[in-house]
Amino acid sequence: MTAYYLQLIVNGIIAGSIYAMFAVGLTMVYGVFKFINFSHGELITWGAYLGLMFTSPPFSLPLYQAAVPALAITVALGLAQDWFIYRPLRQSNPVSLLIASIGLSYLMRNAIRLFWGSDFQTFNLPVARGLSFGGIYITIPQLFMVTAAVVFLTILYLLFTRTLLGKSLRAASDNMELADIMGINMTRVTVTVWVLASVFAGTGGILLAMDTNMDPMMGMSSLIKAFAAVLLGGAGNVWGALVGGLFIGIAENVSVAFISPGYKDFISFALIFILLLFRPTGIFGIKGGVR
Amino acid sequence: MGRITGSAIGILFVFWASAVFAGTISVGAVTPLTGKLAVYGEGFQQAMLLAAEEINAAGGINGDTLEIVFEDNNSTSKGSVSAIRKLITIDKLSVVFGPAASSNFLAICPIAQKNKTILIGAESAAADITKCGSYVFRVFPSDLLQGIGVSELTTALGYKEVVLTYVNNDWGVGLAEVFKEKFTASGGKIIDELAHAEGKTDYRSEIFRIKRHNPKAVVNLTYIKEGATILKQAYETGLDVQWLMGSAAKSPKLVTLAGKATEGIIGTYPTFSQDSPVLQAFKAAWEKKYPGKKTPIFGEYNYDMVKLAALALKDAGSADADGVKASLMKVSQGYMGTTGDKSFDEKGDVGATYGRWTVKDGAITDYR
Amino acid sequence: MDYLYHILVLAMIFSIFAMSLNLELGFAGLYNFGHIAFFAIGAYTSALLSLNGVPIPLAVVAALVVAGVIGAILARFTLGLTGDYFGIATLVFAEMVQLLLLNERDITRGPMGLPGIPRPAWIGSGPESLVWFLLVAGMGTAIVFLLLQRLANAPFGRALKVVREDEFVAQALGKDTTRLKTKAMVVGSVLAGFAGVLWAHYITYISPADFTLNETIFVLLCVVVGGKGTNLGPLLGGFAIVFFGEFVRFIPIPSEFSRFVAPLQGMIYGGLLIVMMLKRPQGLISESRR
Repeated sequence: MTAYYLQLIVNGIIAGSIYAMFAVGLTMVYGVFKFINFSHGELITWGAYLGLMFTSPPFSLPLYQAAVPALAITVALGLAQDWFIYRPLRQSNPVSLLIASIGLSYLMRNAIRLFWGSDFQTFNLPVARGLSFGGIYITIPQLFMVTAAVVFLTILYLLFTRTLLGKSLRAASDNMELADIMGINMTRVTVTVWVLASVFAGTGGILLAMDTNMDPMMGMSSLIKAFAAVLLGGAGNVWGALVGGLFIGIAENVSVAFISPGYKDFISFALIFILLLFRPTGIFGIKGGVR
Repeated sequence: MGRITGSAIGILFVFWASAVFAGTISVGAVTPLTGKLAVYGEGFQQAMLLAAEEINAAGGINGDTLEIVFEDNNSTSKGSVSAIRKLITIDKLSVVFGPAASSNFLAICPIAQKNKTILIGAESAAADITKCGSYVFRVFPSDLLQGIGVSELTTALGYKEVVLTYVNNDWGVGLAEVFKEKFTASGGKIIDELAHAEGKTDYRSEIFRIKRHNPKAVVNLTYIKEGATILKQAYETGLDVQWLMGSAAKSPKLVTLAGKATEGIIGTYPTFSQDSPVLQAFKAAWEKKYPGKKTPIFGEYNYDMVKLAALALKDAGSADADGVKASLMKVSQGYMGTTGDKSFDEKGDVGATYGRWTVKDGAITDYR
Repeated sequence: MDYLYHILVLAMIFSIFAMSLNLELGFAGLYNFGHIAFFAIGAYTSALLSLNGVPIPLAVVAALVVAGVIGAILARFTLGLTGDYFGIATLVFAEMVQLLLLNERDITRGPMGLPGIPRPAWIGSGPESLVWFLLVAGMGTAIVFLLLQRLANAPFGRALKVVREDEFVAQALGKDTTRLKTKAMVVGSVLAGFAGVLWAHYITYISPADFTLNETIFVLLCVVVGGKGTNLGPLLGGFAIVFFGEFVRFIPIPSEFSRFVAPLQGMIYGGLLIVMMLKRPQGLISESRR
C-alpha cells in the first residue's frame, strides 16, 4: 500500500519536473513582456515533432543528435513568434497579445496536423521493463527526464545569479521601461528570454515524447499544467515555477487514488481557478526572491 | 494560365461526357476524412472505393456507373449534420453511408429518417442505433452482442473478479455498460471500474490504480492507440495481468506500437470465416489496388456495405428510397459478404458470431 | 433548400452566441474565453429537462435562468481579476464544465450524449421542419440583436464602455463598476444559454464533444473578425465564418488531399486572429466613437 502511494509520488515528481520546464519559459515571458503566451504549448509540440522529423528518414539521426537541429528550429520558431507577432503588438493591451497568441497556438497546432496528421506518433523506442526499486518502477526515459530537468534548471540558476545577462533579465522583469532607461540592452534580453523559453519547451517536449507519445494536443494539455504551476509559483518567478510544477505533478497523480481518473485534469483546472480567485500572486510569490 | 483553363475545360468535358453518355447513380458517404477519426476514415474510404470499382467493372448498376460522393464530417456531430444535409439537399441522394463514431451517427440518424433517406453504417456499434428508425441499417453488429461476447470470454477463461477499464467515449461507455450488466448477472464481480480519457499519452496513474487491486484479469475496452499506450506502460511498470479486450483494438498496429507488451492478450471480435471465397477475393483485390497496404480496420464491413447497397439499387431499378429500402431488406436475406451473413432483421441490424483473438509471437492469431 | 436553411440556422445560432460574447468582450472589456460553457449549460439544461417530460417552453426558461445564475456566480468570483487572468479563469471554468458533462454520466449520459431532444409540437417534431425552425431562429436573432442594440444605446451600454476604457474614471463618475460588469455577464450568459438551447433543440442530439475549446476559438473569431464593440459586427461575423466553413465543401479537392482541408482551415482561422490583432484590431465593422 505504501509502495502504491510512493509510486504515485515518484510519478508526480517526474511529471512535475517536466511541467516545471514548461512553466519556466512561460513565466519568463510573462515576467518580461507581461502577457500570457498561449502558443508556448506549441513550442513544446514542435520540439517533439521536429525531433521525430530528424530521427526519421531522410535524416534518420539517433535521437540525441536529432535533438540539436530540432531545438535550433524550435528556437527559431520562438524568435519568429516574437519578431513577427508579439513585438509589433508590444504597445497594445495584454488582451490583444493574448488573442494573437491563441490564434498563433491554433495556427501552429493545425500546422502539425497538416504535416504529421492527427494521429499520435512515437520515437519507436523499444518497449522495456522499468527499473524496480523495491516495487517502485521507473523507466530509463523517466530517469533521463528528471536528470535533464535538474541539469537545465541548475544551468538556468547559474545563468541568473552569476552572469550579467542574468542580472539584466531580472531587472527587465522587474520593470522593463526602467531597465531600458538604465541602459540595459533590451534586444539582448528579449532574445535571451525567447531562446531560453524555446529551448526549455523543446527539450521538455522531446523528453515527454520519449516517455509517452506525441500528438498535436500534447502542448496544449501541458500548457494548462504549466500555467497552473506558474500561478502557484507566482507569475514571473522562475523558482516558484519549479516548486509549482512539482506540486501540480504530485497533486494530480496522487489524486487518482481517490477520485475517478476521468477527473485527473480537473485537479489542475480547479487549482488554477482557486488560485486565481484567492491568491493571484502565487503561493510561493516571495517578494525580493530570485526572479 | 492558358494551360490551366485548357485542362479545366477538359475536365469539365469529361464530367459532361460521363454524365451524358453513361448514366451515373450516386450514393453519399459521410466519412471522417479529417479530425480525430481521420486515421480510420481513409481506410474506410479506400475499401468503399474498391467495392465501387468492382461493381462498375462488372457492369455497374444496370449499366449505370456507381459513384460515391464523399463528404467529410471533421469527426464531429456538427460536421456530420452539415455533411448529410448537403448530401440530401444539394446532391439529392437517397442512400448515404453513415459516419464512424456512434455519436456522429446518432446525430444524423433522425435527419435521415425524417427525410426518408437510407442511412447505412459500417462501423457504428452503439446499441441506441437500433432505435433510429426504419431507414437506418448497419452491417456491423450492435454493441449489445459484443458486450455479451466479452462477458462470455471472461467467464469462459474462469475469471470471477476483474477490473474494468474503458475509453471514455460513446463506444467505450456503451460497451462497458453492456459488459457490466451481463458479467455481474452471470455471477462475476467487478473489483474496480475506471474510465480512461481518450487520446492521452500517459495512463500510468490509471495503471497504478489497477495494480493496487492485484487483479488476475483486466477487461480493457479501448482503441488501438489508447490500448497500445496502456499495454506498453503497464508492461514498463510491472503490471502482469491477463488483458481482455474488445474488437476495436484488434489491429497489427497495436502490436507495432506496444511490441512485446501485447503478448498474450485475448480479445473478442465479430468474426467471419477467414477462408470464405468472398473474403479471399476481397483480400486479393485489395492487394492489387493498394499494394503493400494492410487491409484497414473495418475495411471488410465498408466493402460489404457498398456491395449490398449496389445489389439493392440494382434490384430496385431506381434510386427511390422506399424501393431501395424494400430491396435492401430483400437482397440482404442470406447475403454472404466478406464478413459473413448480412441478413437484416426488422430493425436493420445484423447478427454476428464472436471469435477470439490473441497475440502470439508478435502476430494476431485466433485464440483457441 | 434544406441545406441552405440549415446553414442559415447554424449561422443564426452562432451569431447569437457571438453577440452574447461581444456584450462581455466588446462592450464591457471582459475577455471571457470560457463562454462556450454557457452555451453548453443552456443546451444541456433544456435538453435534460425536456427529455424528462418538462414542457419545452418551461425547459427553455429554466435553461436561461440556470445559465444566468451560473453566470452571476462566475462573475461574483472572477470579476476581481485583471484582463488576462480573467480570461484564463473563464477558460479553465469552461474546461471544468466540459469534464463534468463528460464524467457525470448518471445525469448527462457522459460521452454517449443526449439523443432525441424534442422540439415544440407546433414546430413539428422532426428535423424536417426546417422552415419553422429557421423562423424561430431568425426571430431569436432579431430579438437578441434589438435587445443588445437597445442596451448599447442605453445609459447601461455607455457606462459599460466607460468601464472598459478606464475603470477608475468610471468609478470617479460614481458608477458601480462591479455591478455593471456583473449585469453584462449575466445578460451575456443568458443569451449564450439561449444560443445553446436553440442548438440543442435544432440538432436534437448533443454530447460533450460539441462544447470544446475549438468552439471557443470559433466564436472568438466571429466577434474579432466582425468587429467587437458593435452589435452588427458579431452578427455578420457569425454569418461570414459559418458560410466560409461550408463554402470549403464546394471547393473540388481530390480525395487524397482531403485530409489537409481541416488543418488548413484551422490554420486560416488561427492566422486570421493574428492578422486581425496586428492589422485591424477593431474588426471589419469598427465602433464609431462618440
